[in-house]
Amino acid sequence: MADPRSGGSLRYSQDVAVEGMWHARIVRSPYAHARVVSIDGSALPENTVLLTPDDVADLSMYGCQIRDEAVLSRGEARFVGDPVAVVAAPTRRLADAALALVEVDYEELPAVFGIEDAVADGAVLVHERHHVSENDAAYFGIRPVDGSNVCHRFRIRHGDVEAGFAQADVVVEETFTTDGAAHVPMEPHATLARWTDDGRLEVWSGTQTPFNVRMDLAAIFGVDQSRVRVVCPPMGGSFGAKTFVRLEGLAAATARKAGRPIKMVLDRAEEWQTLNRHPSRITVRLGAKADGTLVAKTVTCHADTGAYADCGPGVAQKMGFAAPGPYRIPNVHVDSHCVYTNAPPNGAYRGYGQMQSIWASERTMDIMADRLGIDPLELRLKNLLREGDAYATGEVMHDVAFEECLRNAAEAIGWNEGREGKGLCVLMKGMQTPSRASVAVDALEDGTYRVRCATVEMGQGARYAIRTMAAELLGVGVDDVSFPDPDTDVSPYDTRTTSSRSTHMMSRALVEAVRNLREDGRTGVGEVADQGGLDPDTGQGIASSHWHQGAAGAVVEVDEETGSMKVRHVHASVYAGKVVVRAAAELQNEGSIIMGLGTSLFESIDFADGQVMNANLSDYNVPSITDLPRITHDLVEREGAPVHGLGETALPPIPAAIGNALQSFGIRPRSLPMTPERILDAIDERDAQAGTRELEAAE
Amino acid sequence: MNCTLHLNGTETALGVDGKDMLLNVLRDEVGLTSVRGTCGIGLCGTCTVIVDGQTTASCILPVGLADGKEVTTIEGVPSDDPVKVAFEKANAFQCGYCTPGMILTARAFLDENPDPTDDEIAEALAGNICRCGCYVKIADAVRLAAGMLRDEKVAA
Repeated sequence: MADPRSGGSLRYSQDVAVEGMWHARIVRSPYAHARVVSIDGSALPENTVLLTPDDVADLSMYGCQIRDEAVLSRGEARFVGDPVAVVAAPTRRLADAALALVEVDYEELPAVFGIEDAVADGAVLVHERHHVSENDAAYFGIRPVDGSNVCHRFRIRHGDVEAGFAQADVVVEETFTTDGAAHVPMEPHATLARWTDDGRLEVWSGTQTPFNVRMDLAAIFGVDQSRVRVVCPPMGGSFGAKTFVRLEGLAAATARKAGRPIKMVLDRAEEWQTLNRHPSRITVRLGAKADGTLVAKTVTCHADTGAYADCGPGVAQKMGFAAPGPYRIPNVHVDSHCVYTNAPPNGAYRGYGQMQSIWASERTMDIMADRLGIDPLELRLKNLLREGDAYATGEVMHDVAFEECLRNAAEAIGWNEGREGKGLCVLMKGMQTPSRASVAVDALEDGTYRVRCATVEMGQGARYAIRTMAAELLGVGVDDVSFPDPDTDVSPYDTRTTSSRSTHMMSRALVEAVRNLREDGRTGVGEVADQGGLDPDTGQGIASSHWHQGAAGAVVEVDEETGSMKVRHVHASVYAGKVVVRAAAELQNEGSIIMGLGTSLFESIDFADGQVMNANLSDYNVPSITDLPRITHDLVEREGAPVHGLGETALPPIPAAIGNALQSFGIRPRSLPMTPERILDAIDERDAQAGTRELEAAE
Repeated sequence: MNCTLHLNGTETALGVDGKDMLLNVLRDEVGLTSVRGTCGIGLCGTCTVIVDGQTTASCILPVGLADGKEVTTIEGVPSDDPVKVAFEKANAFQCGYCTPGMILTARAFLDENPDPTDDEIAEALAGNICRCGCYVKIADAVRLAAGMLRDEKVAA
């Protein structure tokens, strides 16, 4: 059977169409912070609908973690691109034309940009107060700091860091930054909303979070969740971009006013105004004894979440709890903050904040190795967490594979044959915890089976993996198991398709579902729930019911005249436990590596006063086939091990592996991406320091 | 204007605004959702179709300029075409959104260069972005397809 992807017949979220639908476009603020004084739609032709803040005054505030968003922002725009009105017309072309006819008057207000300004005394406040959301994505004890731009702060308090640093022979302290980045899914955000005659809201949307979207839509419109239906057709990529409410509230509100279904598909430039990756600033202080034993670590993280929190508090928390790294360190303090600015919102992005803190922490490891005169591989091996060790959160590590992954990466890049131009990184990455997954398996009259499951397909191959696992349990061929589009009316509850959790969680839920099906004969439901969570004030508890583990190695060359770097080879080693579909697992590894190369080398959102200056694929570059070095990878499997998620693990270690390869030349990059300009600065810094040392020696 | 496309071997008469982009006409008027937009400025290769033998970015081609021309979309490539088969065999896609443009580009390229080097394959596909990052297997697929096409020729 031909694959619908090669024949072009797969239909995505943007291809959904229903009778009588109109197309809508969003009128967006050109200011980073402004009050909407007036909206004039008098130039609009007949056969158009204009949605203004007056039309949505009855709707409730929403937000998956902080309730800080209103449909159309209640007349106060907080970033360049904040929706202030919507126009709808019978065709997309007419809607485009109508968009230009809406006149909006603004009163510009003071705005705040960048982490430093946002946390400064007397900073402009993006929101006066921070109300924690009722959505089940706000489960982890969010700690907003009222009267500031901090909407969540998370802490780990483990041991006594002062006493730890007092034992250290060497202490290094460095500050690292990462720029904002765009997800660039090939298919833009697309949503269709309609109200049925009996007053139910139906939404077809490319989203990774159907149940969270249902919860927030029910809250916005003040209806029971059972009055809202969310259906998720396949997506042409997402990488975190299509999470939580994006277009769904706007489309539903416009459909309510228009009295007809409304379809919204974003223009490419609007993607940069919809959701991006958190810029970050991370300071690491690390203490070690002369023999390389790590004794103390403090990490301070700031994540710029833009004008609306979205899941930024969760991102800051994961950034924080990944920061200790996969090492035995007896004394660790982490302080992680999620900070508002007048930038477009930042949210989930493949790796969910962990790339940023892994970059900072793993670069610090190589700086420490350099100071100690110890091989960076040896320093890591000496301190790695092993089976039965406790992490900084107090949780005991099981099914540990850090050493195997790290050794594989080192071997693949020929670490023992000289280490000039080579770098390593090892990582641990959390999975959504607590979380719950349920799945139903139905025996159909024609002898085949149907899986009802809310895991969405965005290219990661989850549907095929879940069908494969179900078929194995049922003892049938995979073609005898169907998996219709997730639909909150019929698919049982699942937390969401994020954090590489779906294949792992569903592998367990399916066992029970198939067992129950055998008993019932017609249908079986299985459910698994992983408990856990951290005390937000001490960081003690279970950060992750299941840790993703991996490592990477990189080989680079650099032209010291121009700062241009050539990555020759990248290898990623990922702990898979058990591989379900080999080709899909390989593709997830390769795709993560390639996305990590973009993050390492050139992907950066360029802002000027809150305006994205490179919101197109000419000025914002993503990796093409000609940007690839030699790419290799391996999937570590173990007899009897559970299925581990693989969707992200190979991305976070790539930047630090490349940065550490530069460090082998004495070049110390601290900011991502590592552009030629930044590499030249780091070369100058190295040479200036060498000059100072020579002068000191001469004196 | 009245515009006639020789679309996948069938004469297709359309009453359209000649300034409308071919991408939108194929999607909205003809209903070919295999033709997909991403960048909107002719750079990413997703919306690629073949117009009179040339790979063309349909998102920036006014349909009036395609009047009377042969237009091939992925539907015009038979399902047993070696390039399609090779993409499936090599698992050269994830979300599949860029795949039609990728296959059409590879198809046109292999017609011109039946025995490409790895560098030539990369150069030929440099203008086709796959954000899922399937490039390693896409290159495998093009190599595989080249071999299959050469074998076909030998057999013929």
